[in-house]
Amino acid sequence: MIIITAAIYVFGGLAALATLLMIFQRDPVKAAMLMLGALLSTAGLYLALSAQLLAVLQIILYAGAIMTLFIVALTATPAAWRDKPARGSFAKVLGLAVAAVILTELLKVSGALKAIIVSPEFTETGTLDLAMALFGRFAFQFELLSLVILAAIVAAVALASKRRPA
Amino acid sequence: MMEFFEANKDILLFAGAAGAKLAVFLGAVMGFTALMTLAERKVSALMQDRIGPNRASVFGFAFNGLFQPVADAIKMILKEDFLPGRAEKLLFTLAPFFALVPVLALFALIPFGDYVMVYGYQVELQVADLPLGLFFVLALSGLAIYGVFLGGWASKNNFALLGALRGAAQMVSYEVVLGLTLVGLMMIYGSASLQDMVRAQGGLLFGFLPAWGVVYQPFAFILFLVASTAENKRTPFDLVEGESEIIGYFLEYSSMRFAAFMFAEFIEIVLISMLIATLFFGGWQVPYLYETGFLFPGGAELPLNHYLVSAMQVGSFAVKTIFFCWFSLVVRWTLPRFRFDQMMNLCWKALLPLALLNILATGAALLYLGKL
Repeated sequence: MIIITAAIYVFGGLAALATLLMIFQRDPVKAAMLMLGALLSTAGLYLALSAQLLAVLQIILYAGAIMTLFIVALTATPAAWRDKPARGSFAKVLGLAVAAVILTELLKVSGALKAIIVSPEFTETGTLDLAMALFGRFAFQFELLSLVILAAIVAAVALASKRRPA
Repeated sequence: MMEFFEANKDILLFAGAAGAKLAVFLGAVMGFTALMTLAERKVSALMQDRIGPNRASVFGFAFNGLFQPVADAIKMILKEDFLPGRAEKLLFTLAPFFALVPVLALFALIPFGDYVMVYGYQVELQVADLPLGLFFVLALSGLAIYGVFLGGWASKNNFALLGALRGAAQMVSYEVVLGLTLVGLMMIYGSASLQDMVRAQGGLLFGFLPAWGVVYQPFAFILFLVASTAENKRTPFDLVEGESEIIGYFLEYSSMRFAAFMFAEFIEIVLISMLIATLFFGGWQVPYLYETGFLFPGGAELPLNHYLVSAMQVGSFAVKTIFFCWFSLVVRWTLPRFRFDQMMNLCWKALLPLALLNILATGAALLYLGKL
């Protein structure tokens, strides 16, 4: 299956390229768009590996919902409206430090990855298996999580609503 | 080279067949969409007691305005392609693509017929039968927001940006309802593949009623109709554009860039009509028509040729699609626009709870009938 392999490399390359360009992009909205490109290429990568559910969830949740919120929020920031984004030396130092931390972590993880061989009980993560795990074994945690999200929504509404005199 | 073809025979054959199907199907859709732009103007003219476009002619033959879409296209191409001075050039160019491409990609998932035998091969009349087709529909339609938002933002025009913000809020809200209305259908059919859903609608209920989605899920159909109209940003939900007074996100667009936004809207009408037909009205199914011919509830039979059956099925899908396209046009010229708060209230306080109740009721019914 040369074509599948080629698709994997193309999408992987695109994801890496978009991520790199995003890091060096000064305009926040353009950076968000590049991140969208990276997310979509990752979805393509999942598709090439025939993990359809993952690909769809990647697009619906990350590209469709989360990135939309990001971009809407970004356009409300003053930096998005400046013609030439401000250069801050502090931000640069902070950025470099965070990048160094993340890079070391990634190197550690990728070193560990080489040692992992696919375990014998590994099965394909189909929709049914995922549903079984979510609503069977992890049902309690799943419901608990939705409660946490509900609390977050209530808090957000409370923060956003205007304080009216009693 | 031959080895490469041998090794990838399946995938190449699939790609070739898919390309051919896509060319025919998408060609038909594009042609129909061009006629839709004319139909929109003719319907509005009819409802406002006017004649509508009837002057564009070829060698003196106007056919009551049939060539108007061609004239419109030539006009759009020849217009000045204006770029605002402060606009973000790259994103400004990218936005129309974001509006158009996801919508076009979605046609690959629509089953427009059962299958036909061509030289002994069974050719499915659907470009890509994905097991999670319905999820892909939601995923790709979610990407259309970027067209609206980038178009408004990259113009660097405050009115365009306000239109884009309205658009983003509206589309994100109604996307949720759109997804939830379809959950009931997935529960009943036990599949998210569009072709499977259409095949499941081929049976009969109580021996005479076609088992279409609208019979099982009438509330979901109404919710889907409303939410999809809102998702398409058409009147009564056209606050994103508000062409006559509040001005929308493509304020700065002209020429073919504007045409891409406009064309995307019309293609979306066709797509939504096809989705409604597929999900709720049996897709390509004709009542009482089976693979070998008609079989009426009374016991009467009418055996038919395979090609005739296939043609009737594709025709039935086309008729259903055209009906809902017409419905969309009539709705647009009948209802006035909502106010923004009314629209948001309708979504979050009416449609969303109703959609959730529908899921609950469907689940309870399935549990009661012991089909869960």
